[in-house]
Amino acid sequence: MSDSLSRRSFLSLAGGTAVVLAGLGLVGCGGSSSSDTSSDSTAKALSGTVNCSGATSFQPLVEAAAKKFEDENPDVTIAITGGGSGQGLSDVRDGKAQIGRSDVFAEEKLDASDAKALTDNTVCVVGMGPIVNSNVDVDDLTTDQLKGIFTGKITDWSEVGGTAGKIQVIERKAGSGTRATFEAAVLGGESAPADFAPVAEEDSSGTVVEKIQQTEGAISYLAFSYFDDTKFKALKVDGVEARAENVCNGSFKIWAYEHMYTKDADEVTQAFIDYMMSDEVQGSMVEEQGFIPANDMKVKKDASGTITNA
Amino acid sequence: MAKRLMPKKQLEGVGLTLTGACVLLVALVVITLIFMVAQQGLSAFFVDGINFFSFISGTSWVPSDGVYGALPLIVTSFGVMLLATLFTLPIALGSAIFVVEVQPGFGRRVFQPLVELLMGIPSVVYGLIGLTVVNAAMRAIFGDAAGTGAGILSGGIVLAVMILPTVTTLSIDGLAAVPNEYREGSYALGCTRWQTVWHVVLRSAMPSLMTAVILGMTRAFGEALAVQMVIGGVEKVMPAGLLSPAATLTTALTSGFSNATTGSIQYHALWALGLLLMAMSLVFILIIHVIGAKGAKNRD
Repeated sequence: MSDSLSRRSFLSLAGGTAVVLAGLGLVGCGGSSSSDTSSDSTAKALSGTVNCSGATSFQPLVEAAAKKFEDENPDVTIAITGGGSGQGLSDVRDGKAQIGRSDVFAEEKLDASDAKALTDNTVCVVGMGPIVNSNVDVDDLTTDQLKGIFTGKITDWSEVGGTAGKIQVIERKAGSGTRATFEAAVLGGESAPADFAPVAEEDSSGTVVEKIQQTEGAISYLAFSYFDDTKFKALKVDGVEARAENVCNGSFKIWAYEHMYTKDADEVTQAFIDYMMSDEVQGSMVEEQGFIPANDMKVKKDASGTITNA
Repeated sequence: MAKRLMPKKQLEGVGLTLTGACVLLVALVVITLIFMVAQQGLSAFFVDGINFFSFISGTSWVPSDGVYGALPLIVTSFGVMLLATLFTLPIALGSAIFVVEVQPGFGRRVFQPLVELLMGIPSVVYGLIGLTVVNAAMRAIFGDAAGTGAGILSGGIVLAVMILPTVTTLSIDGLAAVPNEYREGSYALGCTRWQTVWHVVLRSAMPSLMTAVILGMTRAFGEALAVQMVIGGVEKVMPAGLLSPAATLTTALTSGFSNATTGSIQYHALWALGLLLMAMSLVFILIIHVIGAKGAKNRD
């Protein structure tokens, strides 16, 4: 397997430019290519393979961007695989992938020294909001009420101004980026008591959509990109609607960065990251996919969750 | 006769080498696998310092907080397995008796291929059907008590359908293998068909029936995907009843790996779960062998 791969990579090396093919575990001859890298990168054709693994939440966005990037640079292959944030971070740390996608800061998953070696590229922001089954007659919850619900202190809709009925809490799996973001913003560092169990812990946002529709009195949370008024109802939090502009101006607090981590990025990888940050992607594609361009944010968040004005 | 390519002796040698190499390869794969799982799994205890007994007996599994108690997972795994067997066994046995003893023509030509068709359906399809049909049924029957409808009972029902073809087919084979003389002897003594089936056929087919059941159980124990979709995936508390959402060893494994970074404690703990699963399957295989040996002895 690795034999045929390296043969192919040898051919592509011989065929054109000298580039680093780190994706195949080969380190290109840095000395001889140093003269090339000094020239403008847009002037000459890029070639090589970039492996990008990790979080599935914004994989469609990266895939769409990669397709366009490959169209513009026919010699470049961007291999996009899933696997989750944990996988993405380990892959980029171990050099198995040039880009590791993650919903969470590397500091939260990796050793401090490993996290330090990575370069954080926050390509976009994802807003998340609480959602309920369409039959729930509550439209607005305070952060405290949400906290009460997700820690098991509030168990009936009548306690938060709705028609009496059991609140069915649907969570994402512990360790999911969506859940981590939601809990950081809503629970504020507290965790649910050990004896409180939700009625389900789902592996994917898709299943949450399914379950929230089917289950009377259900509450959960999803990224804005999954919002669909015909299937369930998104709640306001502290009177603020769950919308992109409210995330940008800092009034809506539940959001997270989508990171594309790199480690000593080579030319092709960096070119792709630059492309992700360029107006071409940030201008339209990011919003089309339901995300918020990182450049639009008027507030910023650090790894410990502190929000400051940008 | 065509000219021999090589002397007979040499041909023997080639055969021995080829088949021997196959055996060696399989043995190597098995040993490597066991070694790898054991190495990764045991490092949870020896490198990361998780106490083995608290791992086995702890009642909460919250990897993000460093709490590793696999008991809820173990209990759920056995729970869904036993439930599935309970639902499947009477149906499988009943249809096997029908196919072999009552209506062999229809059974062999129509029913058996139908059941075998079930075996070819991928797990994810069972999972989807479970998600939409079984979970909805649970909610319709039990109301709020069933939560989203996901739980041990739903898992058991979906698994029951999944292991039905295995258990049925093997039971059919088991009953069919009972020599006809036994039946004729029984009829000659004036026994009715029911008496013959109950006292003679089922008795003498017992070892094969047991093997059928245990193979079904093994499949139920190891199934991940379909169960994951219908069981709710709650790992942090002990399941309180049949309607409680829960997680099995396999579902905790599959959903946990995507969030674990390689080399972390969580990663090793998941491998330890894998090791546990492997040990359990080993027990099942041993039981099958013991039953097989016993059955062979009885027949002599």
